[in-house]
Amino acid sequence: MKKRTVQIRPAAMVLLVLAVCLPAGCRRRPDSSASERMVIRVPMFSKIQTLDCGNLTDVYSIGVASQIYESLYEYHYLKRPVELVPLLAEDMPDISEDHLTYTIRIRKGIFYHDDPCFPDGKGREVKAADFVFALKRIANVKYMSQRWTDWNGRIVGLDEFREYTKGFRRESDVDYSVEVEGLRALDDYTLQLKLTKPWPQLIWYLASAVTAPVPREAVDYYGKDIMYHPVGTGPFRLKVWERGFYIELVRNEKWHGGTYPTEGEPSDWENGYLEDAGKPLPFADAIVYRVIEEFQPAWLMFLRGDLDIMQIFKDNFAQAVNPDTLTATPAMAERDIRLLVFDDPSVFWIGFHMQDPVLGRNKPLRKAISRAIDRQAAIRLFFNGVHKVAYGYLPPGLEEYDPNIVHTDYAKYDPAEARALLQEAQQIHGGPIPPLTIAIPGTSNLDRQIGQFLQKYLADVGLQLRVDYMDWPTYLDGLNKGKLQIFFSGASPSIPDSLDMLMAFCSWNWGYGGNHFHYSNPEFDALYRQAEPMFPGPERTRLCRQMERIMLEDCPAVFLNHRVAIAIIHGWYKNAKPHEFSYNTAKYRRIDLEKRNRYKELLKELKKKPK
Amino acid sequence: MTVYIIRRLLYTVPIVVGVLLLTFFLFSVVGGDISQQIAGKNADAETIAEIRHEYGFDKPLFWSLDSQFIDHFRKALTFNFGRALDREKISDKILRGVGPSLSLTVPMFLGTLVLSISLALMVAFVRGSWLDVAAVVLCVAGMSIPYLSFIIYGQYIFAYKLGLFPIMYMPEESLLTSLALPVLIGIAAGLGGNLRFYRTIVLDEMRSDYVRTAFAKGLSTSKVLFKHVLKNALIPIITSVVLSIPYLFLGSLLLERFFGIPGLGSLMIEAIASRDFFIINAMTFIFSLLIVVFTLLTDICYAWADPRIKLE
Repeated sequence: MKKRTVQIRPAAMVLLVLAVCLPAGCRRRPDSSASERMVIRVPMFSKIQTLDCGNLTDVYSIGVASQIYESLYEYHYLKRPVELVPLLAEDMPDISEDHLTYTIRIRKGIFYHDDPCFPDGKGREVKAADFVFALKRIANVKYMSQRWTDWNGRIVGLDEFREYTKGFRRESDVDYSVEVEGLRALDDYTLQLKLTKPWPQLIWYLASAVTAPVPREAVDYYGKDIMYHPVGTGPFRLKVWERGFYIELVRNEKWHGGTYPTEGEPSDWENGYLEDAGKPLPFADAIVYRVIEEFQPAWLMFLRGDLDIMQIFKDNFAQAVNPDTLTATPAMAERDIRLLVFDDPSVFWIGFHMQDPVLGRNKPLRKAISRAIDRQAAIRLFFNGVHKVAYGYLPPGLEEYDPNIVHTDYAKYDPAEARALLQEAQQIHGGPIPPLTIAIPGTSNLDRQIGQFLQKYLADVGLQLRVDYMDWPTYLDGLNKGKLQIFFSGASPSIPDSLDMLMAFCSWNWGYGGNHFHYSNPEFDALYRQAEPMFPGPERTRLCRQMERIMLEDCPAVFLNHRVAIAIIHGWYKNAKPHEFSYNTAKYRRIDLEKRNRYKELLKELKKKPK
Repeated sequence: MTVYIIRRLLYTVPIVVGVLLLTFFLFSVVGGDISQQIAGKNADAETIAEIRHEYGFDKPLFWSLDSQFIDHFRKALTFNFGRALDREKISDKILRGVGPSLSLTVPMFLGTLVLSISLALMVAFVRGSWLDVAAVVLCVAGMSIPYLSFIIYGQYIFAYKLGLFPIMYMPEESLLTSLALPVLIGIAAGLGGNLRFYRTIVLDEMRSDYVRTAFAKGLSTSKVLFKHVLKNALIPIITSVVLSIPYLFLGSLLLERFFGIPGLGSLMIEAIASRDFFIINAMTFIFSLLIVVFTLLTDICYAWADPRIKLE
């Protein structure tokens, strides 16, 4: 008997493994698209870090958190240029004549999501004190919010409160009842903010999930783990977060409500963005975010209809995009797949350390580098020819963007002129220019290709360039401490305000403040000070453009390109109007379930079709 | 035997201390202060200082009872690894990843093992025949194809084109359904190398006198193969098998990444990419312990498999 067992064991084990694997594998998965439940399925290409609103920094975390939390204001979904409308606020703020005091009335009857942190598990009503608490929490140095820099020196008494928190060991030890003069709940439904100086950008910050109200109960109940337990007021609440790969938000049945906008841009009618005008929000029952870090599975899932929207990568560009018209290829069109193409307000550059002994006092050298680089070639090579040349710094999409900048020669590619400028530069330097060193954050193939590209173009005009491919922390450290001679970098404004971007060239912001160029120009600084308290308007726009020109003349950087974003969506994904600054857009999205349920049939029909 | 085991367990102490010294040197002395990275691009100097304090980067490296060196040992020996860069507890992350990783790697490992040993016995028995040649050619082909190709084509053909499996791990479906394709791909990709290895071992045994004697005595083929040859080939098999077990805990880096399986392989890749030394440290320590334990088990298994071996 024992002998017999020995004989059959290997075969039995093979059968066992096959028995375990095959039935499971061969079983067709339930067709989730045939469901009547409206679930939006979105891929994410990076893991989200936190859902604690006071410490949101990366776009993926903000993207998810913005469906859960709500702030005082939000962007009008359809209107362009962008415009704010009240969300948790009753109306737009009352601003004092000196622009220093903001009084904001809070809507009544707004409730937090039901959560165990509340005594009976039922979400309580939002009060003005919750906004005060949320901002004080960001100021609490023990909370270690990465968003404090937005508020540093802005609110009367808040910096002192931050000083006060330094005396404690833990975040929870801090007494939040300590008064801050500039941050008060006048009553349950009135919030007052007093500023140290006019800060026109404040309103944009009040439209961010970062400034959403936070119930004290949740902070006390969850402690540090509040990052996994968001308690907001938004149209969706967190149901599942399998960290690192899957997030499911479900409709908040107790949401205070809202309706789809009834007005927008003239083209919104023809693009179908106003078909749902006036209908109650949100449309979707749930949103599922899948973290997919590899391109292939995400693309296959999208093609099979398991995802509603995808981002276009270099590898699938030819398959999906007709580069001449920036429309979907016929193969995509027959699947009713289309593209969303929009200007993403961003700019990428090669920055110079302006205190560097070689580069800092040698403007012709910096200009020679600028003339030596063919931006169009870089865009063709690395961005499928889709991005736009950055003639200046401020990107399209911002009110202060200067359309006439394209007629300037700041982005001109002219190797002959570069060589002439180099002659001049050598005279200033007192001999041949030594090899220069650029730091590139990253070691991927693309990073190396960019490095080689820059080396080639500078070598063509007689400059030697060494490339340091760095990991992100080393790069960041070098950038902040001013240790990088030349650096490859970029920026996207988080709010639609050019001053926020121009701040990166103010002399008081060297290093950690964001001026990694260590650039200083008193004229630029004076204009910035002049524009800082101004609300958007022609005079402010004029000043911003003037600042941009002054900086471009000094050439502390070679501006390369502005990103043009392309998303690819299925025909059933409705109301997907791109918004450059708003994140709480999932409530407007709708799925045409009938169309989605028919997709599998469409794929079968396409298979049968003769090629 | 007991004395041997105790002595071997005592040997683990200097090994573990060595690992801890090495990881401390690599991650704390060379790697250094990563508080700037944790704080992010926009953080001010005060916040960075707080983070430095929170993670203990402001403590002296060595010469204090509260030094980073002591802290490093304390964390490891108490298995309280602290929090990762994203501020989640490392122990939670590891515990969460062990299940999915083992669900993937254990069936993959067993499948590969059983198939490759069975096939090795078969082809060794018919060595020199067209079947043996075909098997060797296929094995070499399988070993030559990059692992990534197995994944990419497997996913494309069986999941996307034929629709037999989900493209990625689907939490709403059973673990079995989601893991079937990566397991099969893992078996297919690992079969070539393993089959060749075991074939060589079995062939060595097949040429032995005792096999000829067994056949001469009239024993059946299966009896000779499974009772005599396999038993005598066990030593190298045990070495290969038992020492592979710790690696199962590390998961499968590529399979987990392509199939979205939230295992320890993904965790390691993520930790390396984000320079999360805390996680790498913890994983290295745990892995070293597993290696030590399974090396000891291998030695014990030798004694069990071969009565000539005495553990003294």
